[in-house]
Amino acid sequence: MIKTIASRIGAFFKSFQLTIVLLVLLMCLVVLCTLAQVEMGTQGAVNAYMRSFVVMKHFSALPFPLPVFPGGALVGLFLTLNLIAKTLDIKLSWQKAGMWLVHAGLVILFAGEFVAGMMQVDTNMSIEVGQTVNYVSSYKNTELAIIDVTDPTWDEVYSVPDTLLAKGGPIAIPGTPITLNVKQFFPNAELSNLPPGAPPSMATAGVGPGVAIVEKPLVSADNEMNQASAFVEPMAGGRSYGTWLVSVALGAPQSFIHEGHNYVLTMRLRRQYLPYAFTLKQFKHDVYPGTDIPKNFSSLVQVVNPSRQESREVLIYMNQPLRYEGKTFYQASFGKNDTLSILSVVENPGWLLPYVSCVLVSLGLLVHFAIVLRRSLKRRQDKKEG
Amino acid sequence: MTFVKKYLAWGAGIFALLIALFVALPGGKARGFDVSGFGNLPILEGGRVKPLDSLARNSLLVIHSRQGFRHQGRMVGPDEWILDVMFRPQVADQQAIFVIDDPDVIGLIGAQQKQNRNYFSFADLSSHLDEIQKQASNAQQKKPQTRSRFESAISNLFDRVYLYYKLRNTLQLAGSPGLGWEIQSLGTAEAPLRHQDLIQLAHFRILPPTAGANPDAWQSVGQALSAAQSGVPLHPGLAPLAKMNAAYVANDAAAFNQALHEMNSVVSTLKPGALDHATNEVIFNRAQPFFVGLSIYFVAFLTLCISWIYKPDLLRPTAYALLVSGAIVHTLGLAARIILQGRPPVTNLYSSAIFVGWGAVILGLIVERMYRKGFGTAVASLAGFATLIVAQNLGTEGDTMEMMRAVLDSNFWLATHVVTITIGYSGTFLAGAIAIAYALRKHIVGKADPETEKALVDMAYGIICFSLFFSFVGTVLGGIWADQSWGRFWGWDPKENGALLIVLWNAVILHARWAGYVRERGTMVMAIFGNMITAASWFGVNLLGVGLHAYGFTDSGFWWLVGFWATQLVFMGICYAPARFWMEKPHAKA
Repeated sequence: MIKTIASRIGAFFKSFQLTIVLLVLLMCLVVLCTLAQVEMGTQGAVNAYMRSFVVMKHFSALPFPLPVFPGGALVGLFLTLNLIAKTLDIKLSWQKAGMWLVHAGLVILFAGEFVAGMMQVDTNMSIEVGQTVNYVSSYKNTELAIIDVTDPTWDEVYSVPDTLLAKGGPIAIPGTPITLNVKQFFPNAELSNLPPGAPPSMATAGVGPGVAIVEKPLVSADNEMNQASAFVEPMAGGRSYGTWLVSVALGAPQSFIHEGHNYVLTMRLRRQYLPYAFTLKQFKHDVYPGTDIPKNFSSLVQVVNPSRQESREVLIYMNQPLRYEGKTFYQASFGKNDTLSILSVVENPGWLLPYVSCVLVSLGLLVHFAIVLRRSLKRRQDKKEG
Repeated sequence: MTFVKKYLAWGAGIFALLIALFVALPGGKARGFDVSGFGNLPILEGGRVKPLDSLARNSLLVIHSRQGFRHQGRMVGPDEWILDVMFRPQVADQQAIFVIDDPDVIGLIGAQQKQNRNYFSFADLSSHLDEIQKQASNAQQKKPQTRSRFESAISNLFDRVYLYYKLRNTLQLAGSPGLGWEIQSLGTAEAPLRHQDLIQLAHFRILPPTAGANPDAWQSVGQALSAAQSGVPLHPGLAPLAKMNAAYVANDAAAFNQALHEMNSVVSTLKPGALDHATNEVIFNRAQPFFVGLSIYFVAFLTLCISWIYKPDLLRPTAYALLVSGAIVHTLGLAARIILQGRPPVTNLYSSAIFVGWGAVILGLIVERMYRKGFGTAVASLAGFATLIVAQNLGTEGDTMEMMRAVLDSNFWLATHVVTITIGYSGTFLAGAIAIAYALRKHIVGKADPETEKALVDMAYGIICFSLFFSFVGTVLGGIWADQSWGRFWGWDPKENGALLIVLWNAVILHARWAGYVRERGTMVMAIFGNMITAASWFGVNLLGVGLHAYGFTDSGFWWLVGFWATQLVFMGICYAPARFWMEKPHAKA
């Protein structure tokens, strides 16, 4: 009984029907995902169709979304299982060597895409000419930074990620006497000047009392950003320092003093500090003569890494990124009249897998078609002789 | 007898090549003026040095949709036209070259719509320039996708009028007494204002960089005059230009040709090599290898069609010979582009169409060599013809050898990723075309011929394997390029998705066949569907207007794509048509 079920499951996973159904489903998903990008932006559409197990759709008549289509992750998972089952099923003979390589390569390619989907971290680094930067910032995620700026030569940064702020309640900041009481968190909000006569703000300190705040739905399009905001009350030594409004949309720093320490409160894009620093020595924006058509962008960067006793110059330009300590730095954008260079930073532990897969699959296809060609030529030869 | 036939067939091919050669010969002088010599002058425009002839052809193509026009009973070529625009605007302004098809735009300029195409001269339009500009600037605030038909038409007209206006004011300000007078009035109080206008309106730079200057620092006439005003010695090219200007206005051909000779020696001293490069490009322009190629393909296809009902022994080899000569012209054109541009073959949508056609023709030639049934010739000549027609239509938007934007500026990846993926397109289209031939043949030829059918299916199958290989490798190479330049292997960008669809579909066909779910007919229906997917991935992405690959949105392209899909659906229906159409045909013994 168990054996038949197991063999049935085995037969299911290695069947050609499954392969074809999954490939066609994947094609449908790709088409849907492409069309949805016009509305939702690339990232939004990819999350909805490709990185999800089930595609959910909101119907106006129903309060909750309904599953309408298997998502890319599910199809991908089944396709991987199908591939593995098939690969194991292919006879280990020289005749099938090509097919074996192709399918093994595809398994690696899928694994690479899964690793990228799960583990890839995209950040960026903006440096102005002459500036030294030792952190990368997230594109979308935010954090509340509490910076002890008492020492003019050294900032001590403590930060609370937005995911923790969203839970609310008191958060003790390790290393400081401060406990942060999160009163309200807005994943996205719009700020404006508080009109006269409006109900007073929850904030009692800093710029908050003069600002009106309206919660907004989350946005996902590529060129839009969520303005994360929160009301927080820092407590230390048994006293409250008032309720402060912090928001990505607020530019001016707000600070309070506790026992001689000056603390700055600021909501900003989440930063990751690096054990090394980049100094931008030169940024170049070349155009074709007599036009505005960009020819090349390049950043000349001094990389200083004390732990490796390393200090060297690197030129990062189009199609020529810097791979350093598990991160890859690309020339992505520029600004401020060509004095600001923006490098996009990617950390993907599986970046090599597609390269391996490409070699395996190409080799496999070549081997297989060579075998088939040889067989068919032989058959022709036999026909002629016979 | 067969010997004679063979020579007749190859004679036809050689005759076609001779015609191609004849087209490339230089034309005569217009009214005694060496206009083609003038077209040979190198200029800097759009970031690259090219002959004035290329600019004249592309501008005329943009404004007039053709590279020449008939005026007062005589053909005016691009070089003569641009000379008139720049030196005798009063003559050029009267030539009716602006094509306007939109009835609302015609109404706007207060004219009646005529029966045929509607051509207007700059003089016709000149009293409505303010209105055109106002309407166009309103329209141009909208995204191209959201513009109405009128808005697209008026903004397009404005761009063409503005191009013409700039050309008119590049070498001299239209309406002024000319370049010679401009040089004489250097140092007067009003001159700097005119220099500013000339600098602003200059469409190209004709004066090569002076000795010791930055090698890319070509100057426009306005820039050189302005420099002379501030005390720099007069650019040596200005004097011969002024002489040409005066001679052309005075209708003195000998003096013009003499001044052109002087200009040529100035150019070859200041920028050795530029003149030769420009001359080569002019030969390429004149030869129009892709237009000649598509004409030969068309004749080859017709010849083959006739061969099915008349003298197959003679006409089939003739069609094959014609296809070969078409392929030779096509290949030479492709090679010339690669050499002139210094880039791999595919750099933009236009060149991708040329390359897809070339790949399909070469594959078709190989298939014909293997099976010798005429189908390879038919499919290859038709595919070559169709893709070159597409290319001709894509090439009406300006310079087809435009410079590559920064991220694309990588010959290595253009040569590997772009070329392999385009070969994948060629293969999928060729397989689809063979499937269409199979479907039509089944219905037209009453007699069942299992051997030919089997051969066609084998061809399609082999080509699908071939395109799966190339489209897969091309897609993965694209991923690696993306990893090198944007930091991710795969980003679900529309163009990437399009390429993935082709790979997936070819994989579906092969798996369905291996598993035995489809046989001959099913494979062929699926191969035709491959045409739809490839067309969507090739052009549809540009229509969506999102993503990193969305270069060149073409508004009329959408309906062409829909039309193409519709025909493919019809072919799929024909291929799948009811069994009684072919299954029960008696296997008549011949």
